[in-house]
Amino acid sequence: MPPTHILNGIKVIDFSHYVAGPHCTRLLAQHGAEVIKIERLSGDPTRKLPVQKGGTSGCFVQHNLGKKSLSLDLEKPEAQGICHDLIKNADIVVENFTPGTMKRLNMDWETLQAINPKLIMCSVSCMGQTGPLATYPCFDYIGQAYSGIMGMTGDEGGFPALSGMAFGEISTGAHAYGAIVSALFHKLHGGGGQYLDISLLDCLFSYHAMNVQVYDASNGEMNPLRSGHQHPFIAPLAIYQCKGAYLIIIALGKQWTNLVKLIDREDMLDDPRFADPVSRNVNRAELTEAIEFWLDGFDDVDAALRSLGENHVPAAPVLSVSEVMSHPHMIERGIVQTITNKHFGDLKIPASPYRYSLFPEPLELEAGLLGEHNHEVLSEQLAYTTEQIQILEDSGVCSIKP
Amino acid sequence: MTQTPMLDGIKVLDFTHIVAGPHATRLMAEHGAEVIKVEPLTGDPARGLPFHKDGRSGCFVQHNIGKKNLCLDLSTQEGKNICYELVKQADVVIENFAPGVMQRLKLDWETLRKLNPELIMCSISCFGQTGPLSDLPGYDFIGQSYAGLLDMNGEPGGSPIFADLAFGDVSTGTHAYAAIISALFHKFRGGGGQYIDISLVDVLFSYHEMGVEVFDGSKGGMALTRSGTQHPLLSPFGVFRCNDKYIFLIANRDQWLRLVKLIDRPDMLEDPRYTDIMSRGENREEVNAAIQTWLDNIGDADEAVRLLQEHHVPSAPILSIPEVIEHPHMKARGTVRTVSDPVFGQLKIPNNPLRFSQFPEPLDLQAGFLGQCNHEILSEKLHYSDHQITELEKNGVIGSKNI
Repeated sequence: MPPTHILNGIKVIDFSHYVAGPHCTRLLAQHGAEVIKIERLSGDPTRKLPVQKGGTSGCFVQHNLGKKSLSLDLEKPEAQGICHDLIKNADIVVENFTPGTMKRLNMDWETLQAINPKLIMCSVSCMGQTGPLATYPCFDYIGQAYSGIMGMTGDEGGFPALSGMAFGEISTGAHAYGAIVSALFHKLHGGGGQYLDISLLDCLFSYHAMNVQVYDASNGEMNPLRSGHQHPFIAPLAIYQCKGAYLIIIALGKQWTNLVKLIDREDMLDDPRFADPVSRNVNRAELTEAIEFWLDGFDDVDAALRSLGENHVPAAPVLSVSEVMSHPHMIERGIVQTITNKHFGDLKIPASPYRYSLFPEPLELEAGLLGEHNHEVLSEQLAYTTEQIQILEDSGVCSIKP
Repeated sequence: MTQTPMLDGIKVLDFTHIVAGPHATRLMAEHGAEVIKVEPLTGDPARGLPFHKDGRSGCFVQHNIGKKNLCLDLSTQEGKNICYELVKQADVVIENFAPGVMQRLKLDWETLRKLNPELIMCSISCFGQTGPLSDLPGYDFIGQSYAGLLDMNGEPGGSPIFADLAFGDVSTGTHAYAAIISALFHKFRGGGGQYIDISLVDVLFSYHEMGVEVFDGSKGGMALTRSGTQHPLLSPFGVFRCNDKYIFLIANRDQWLRLVKLIDRPDMLEDPRYTDIMSRGENREEVNAAIQTWLDNIGDADEAVRLLQEHHVPSAPILSIPEVIEHPHMKARGTVRTVSDPVFGQLKIPNNPLRFSQFPEPLDLQAGFLGQCNHEILSEKLHYSDHQITELEKNGVIGSKNI
């Protein structure tokens, strides 16, 4: 029988919670791996986040599709023993506790490597496993502040602004996924197990596509600073207004010629003040005026966008989440996935961005209730008897059936 | 003994330019794959992006370390034939042209898979290979607009703003990398080759950790949008000013208990308006005023963050690029990498964020000049004679330049 997906047969023991780690193990599940999520007796804290319906959290469902839930009191040696037994047969362990916690729980790399020398273990953290900030309490936005991303967001000279979403968590989860499949590939070629240290900070810092080298190579003369709705070095690359709506326009290379023709300002082609993107930025007040004058001539932003698109000038409406969800392009591509949860009902979440020709359809996956698979995991994988499981429940090692 | 790198022996033919695609192939090179970057005679447009020294672009160097540079006119039949021969030897082809360009160049998936049935091909684009927007020209920030990200940045009721960095391009490159390795894993377990369609909009939309399910689950009752310096629902959760600097802080549950103790406002513990992070969100003015009073008394952002962190309240100074580069934590972890370059000498760039215990040291990689490896690739891989290579140069099929 052909595999159901790429990671068919790969076993993952998942100690992660909140978003970054769970997104990584969701991706592993979506690629066909068997993921056993080990939760504390009170459950992953995201089970309490909005929206709640039928006692289930939409946020939890989004990040925990396709995982089996095993709920254990990890402070108890019996629970640690169960984990060690499961890890003996696992390919991968993922966790995103504060550095040091796994060691306290007898679940650190040295311990687990001794139990299973072929193991791949991935720790996801905010600041990484090493360095002076490693054990500070953290969060996506803390990483954004330390990586220089928050400093690059906001009006020039004014308050830095929050990005309205924790994009660091999800994208770090995707990085962790990338590192894990690399290590699996290596193991497939006889390379053995290894430990992966993935941090939000490292990932977020790598997103500076230009800022770091520009600062360094100019010996600090070009110091990238936040610049609101305009790019700090390049013009036109900015958000403009048209009849009360916002749109972004970017014109580089040939697109600049297309734009000035379109807005009927071909005189700018010969003007040395507008010779390249950097000089256009120096003189951007006049350029902005010309673009906004042209935009004023339209009845609405859609007409302006059509005209820009037809003339090969990159432009986009600034869409809200609900507008994205109802956009024809997003619908045609299935960017929004509707999943069915037996407790929550139907729920729309972002679909996996991984699209493979061999696997055009996503696997049908559900998020489990807390401890939903305790019995299944303990009896099928570790051959516990019903009596043994009962004793574990009675002594509070694992949660009772949901 | 040095370990053989993870992707040793994997051959990649790379038609990418600017940032998203090149970041994916940089990661492949960092993990030991052999990457042949095919550039047009005018070079990757990233070679035109700042910072420039003697015609050399730091931006190009950052995203192209570890690749072999082949410079070809893809519109000529000879140029195409060279690519076809290289595709036959490759494990992976990757490109990020606008959808349709590879077909026009006769380098599309249907053509290439016939030459090499085991091939993995990955296309990266702004909107994806299908759907009504797929033909539109796109960039990172265009993708951020269409994915509903830009709408989440800025003051409520004011203009949206954007973070001045192409995090969509870089992180989409990482997604492409992960998809390619997944497909390689599948291929080496006997699953064959396949085609991968990665888009910025798909990737960026997946970053909504709550916005989509909250909107849908509440039947449109909760629609998240930009909320300036503060979180729309929760408090304390946002940016504060301390003297001439800014800090970020958030305090939930026990962190709130420690924060009120630190700022000497134990009375707030008894007050029902501040019992949890949501109710504090409804009374954020008073919460923020209490924090601001404390910050004004301290009068020094570094000292304030030190005290907050000592009390385990999640907080951070909002660092500028030079401050990040000089920070002791980043230095201890090697978050900033210094690469050597024939023109720049030394150049600082962000390090590869994927860290493997078996490969603690990054490979020593450099970015090449335009067409630097033309001769090597044509003679060693395709056994062209010196005479043939000279003819190709004369006819303008291949070219090179020290930029």
